[in-house]
Amino acid sequence: MNKLVTRREFLNLLGSTGGASAALKAGAALGLLPAASIAKPLDLLALGSNNKKVAILGGGLSGLTVAYELSKRGYDCTILEASHRCGGRIFTVRHGDLIDEIGNRQYCEFDEDPHLYFNGGAARIPGFHHNLLSYCKELGVELEVFVGENNNAYFQDDALLDGKPIRVNDYKTNIRGFLGEMLAKSMSEQEMDKPFTEQEAENLLGIIRSFGDLKEGDLYTGSSRSGYKTGGYIAHGVQKDIIAFRDLLQTQLGNQIFTAYEGDHGPSLLQAKGGMDNITAGFLRKIGEQVKYHAMVSAINVSNDGVEIAYDQDGTRHALKVDYCFSCIPTHLITGLEHNFPGDYVKALKYVRRGDAYKAAFQAKERFWEKDGIYGGITKTNNRSTGIWYPSHGMHQNKGILLGAYNFRGGLYHTNMSQQERIEAHIKDGEKVHPNYRNLVEKPVTIAWHRINHMLGCAASWNRSFGTWTQEEKLMFDTLQAPVHGRHYIIGDQITVNVAWMESAIRSAHWALEDLDQRVRTELG
Amino acid sequence: MTLYGENKVNGKKLIGAMLTILCWLPFQLQGEEEREPYDDRYCTTCHGADGRGNFGVQAPRLAGMEPWYLKRQLENFRTGIRGAHLKDIEGMAMRPMAVQLTDEGIADVVEWVGDWNYIPAQVTIEGDSAVGKQLYSQCATCHGDEAQGNEMLGAPALRGQNDWYLVTQLKNFKKGWRGSESLDNYGQQMMPMAQILADEDSINNVVSHINTLGKN
Ligand SMILES: Cc1cc2nc3c(=O)[nH]c(=O)nc-3n(C[C@H](O)[C@H](O)[C@H](O)COP(=O)(O)OP(=O)(O)OC[C@H]3O[C@@H](n4cnc5c(N)ncnc54)[C@H](O)[C@@H]3O)c2cc1C
Repeated sequence: MNKLVTRREFLNLLGSTGGASAALKAGAALGLLPAASIAKPLDLLALGSNNKKVAILGGGLSGLTVAYELSKRGYDCTILEASHRCGGRIFTVRHGDLIDEIGNRQYCEFDEDPHLYFNGGAARIPGFHHNLLSYCKELGVELEVFVGENNNAYFQDDALLDGKPIRVNDYKTNIRGFLGEMLAKSMSEQEMDKPFTEQEAENLLGIIRSFGDLKEGDLYTGSSRSGYKTGGYIAHGVQKDIIAFRDLLQTQLGNQIFTAYEGDHGPSLLQAKGGMDNITAGFLRKIGEQVKYHAMVSAINVSNDGVEIAYDQDGTRHALKVDYCFSCIPTHLITGLEHNFPGDYVKALKYVRRGDAYKAAFQAKERFWEKDGIYGGITKTNNRSTGIWYPSHGMHQNKGILLGAYNFRGGLYHTNMSQQERIEAHIKDGEKVHPNYRNLVEKPVTIAWHRINHMLGCAASWNRSFGTWTQEEKLMFDTLQAPVHGRHYIIGDQITVNVAWMESAIRSAHWALEDLDQRVRTELG
Repeated sequence: MTLYGENKVNGKKLIGAMLTILCWLPFQLQGEEEREPYDDRYCTTCHGADGRGNFGVQAPRLAGMEPWYLKRQLENFRTGIRGAHLKDIEGMAMRPMAVQLTDEGIADVVEWVGDWNYIPAQVTIEGDSAVGKQLYSQCATCHGDEAQGNEMLGAPALRGQNDWYLVTQLKNFKKGWRGSESLDNYGQQMMPMAQILADEDSINNVVSHINTLGKN
């Protein structure tokens, strides 16, 4: 068994490992004001009569962005898309839609109703993804709030309270109470090294007390923050029992409950009304005519004066000669094409690893979660399905679509199962939260990105060691970002350092467009 | 070669007569014309343009593979003799695709692959081919002096295959990720043979020798 530490020892431990916190230093220039909070308009030269031909390989978001911006400026753009649809990893599934998983082709059987859809790829937009949001505005894509953080949703872990699901709120309230009590005690009992004035210390204590909802004597004795056991309106509320601190510490996911909605996942989040693919549709309203579907690129030959592309469509091999080419074909599929790329470029292409994101969804026969007071948001579970997402739209309708599993890294576990096994696994995991789950859900779909035709992965990973990039990795990234002969650009979130965001796909397109613009301006003098 | 025909009707695609590979189709499409039809180009998504193989998803070269060997492997994947080992990620991905194939479907695929241009594979492995030549003498018994394969013995051609794929498969045989299935007669023969290659260097050496036999 592990050595036990007292609370005081624990605080001392924190103190000795942490030293004097940088945050306590006064007057640090924190640079909190964002430099550019608004999308900067692209300043690209309009061509006039200088006709230039451009091929866009893959109708992913970055490809659509390039086609849209260049078409506006007089370039002659053709989009070659291998599959039956544009959007790639922006993929909304509705009644009758094809989920083209190799070896497990599915048609979505959800009822036909505009609110019954599932975003099998991109699902949420942070409020600070300015470039994406500004396209939404420009293209008339309506947005609504996506509820990510919901304290009324559940938290379930077999290790916690015998696996009984508890409200996120109950977990947070109790943890905050105990943490607050510890902090407050340490403030009053321990001689502080006077980094604070008396007023500052008083203010800090105020924050700590409110953080933990502490009562007299800076004790945590429970809180009404997570609601009452009974009463609260006509009758006086009866406070819920405290969950013992030790019990709360049995789960390893506590940290995730507290950090789940930070950074890119921080509220407020948005979604496109009626399905994320309305973003794709917005672009296609402008440039839809330029897309060739079922057009699978098979060869790319770049020279100093242009790019020759071969693609297969209708059982025939076609040739297309252009001045420039932008490709959002995933790197792990580019390696299977015929090409004449230089050796270091190929080395970098082969270095990038594909990811294995996985999602699954059910149609719910009734919106049972609403009876539990849950409207949107995410239940977190410590199992392979990782949680349940409740729809942020369609409140009080008869049915709804639930996300039943989401594995961003580690999706192969379910991918390797048969369709039946996948579904059974998600139902079993869901039953731990909603006991009657099995009978309440129907018409499942699973989306294993590792096997989706023409994608075979999400998201690209560049660095082998967690968090840091080696010098060599940085160099390979630069190699792949630079256009071959100034003519062949790789685009997509795969060529950014923040993969798996639509904003990143757009940023990569903008980077390439600005680079191209420099070249064209030079050429045209 | 025309692989399939499509007619656009009311903006939706209907399946044309050329779609012989449609016999793979696991779903009934009657009354479902509105739905997106089956795509017959699955092979090249993973195995690369003209079946040249794709390192990025670790899918081997199919172009130039002997028809009898291709057929046997598709059948093996279908029955689970291959692609059922949990460590064999790529094999696991191949299996569900093969499970969909009827005998005619397999024959169609084999014929389709036979139509692809064979483009010589690139050398990507570094090794000592002289040492590899010594080691290869054991392999030659079944696979032939020129690694040209031997149908009578059930041993496929090795020359012309992507070298990185040969390396992976030798490792898989060594670890028992391939060939440990009791019904896999040929794999069972290959597994002990792979043990002869003591380490990664030996594997690279023998594959480097096979590279010198390159098919054109
Ligand atoms: C499960 C999941 C969850 C996500 N969640 C979010 C989220 O919440 N918010 C967010 O902003 N982003 C999210 N993303 C990421 C977002 O979807 C992607 O970053 C973005 O859509 C990628 O766009 P892209 O331009 O890189 O093209 P991709 O979407 O990668 O498209 C590539 C295109 O190339 C085509 N193609 C492939 N091979 C060929 C060929 N040989 N010839 C022609 N065409 C070919 C493909 O069919 C495809 O259309 C998520 C992604 C996934 C998978």
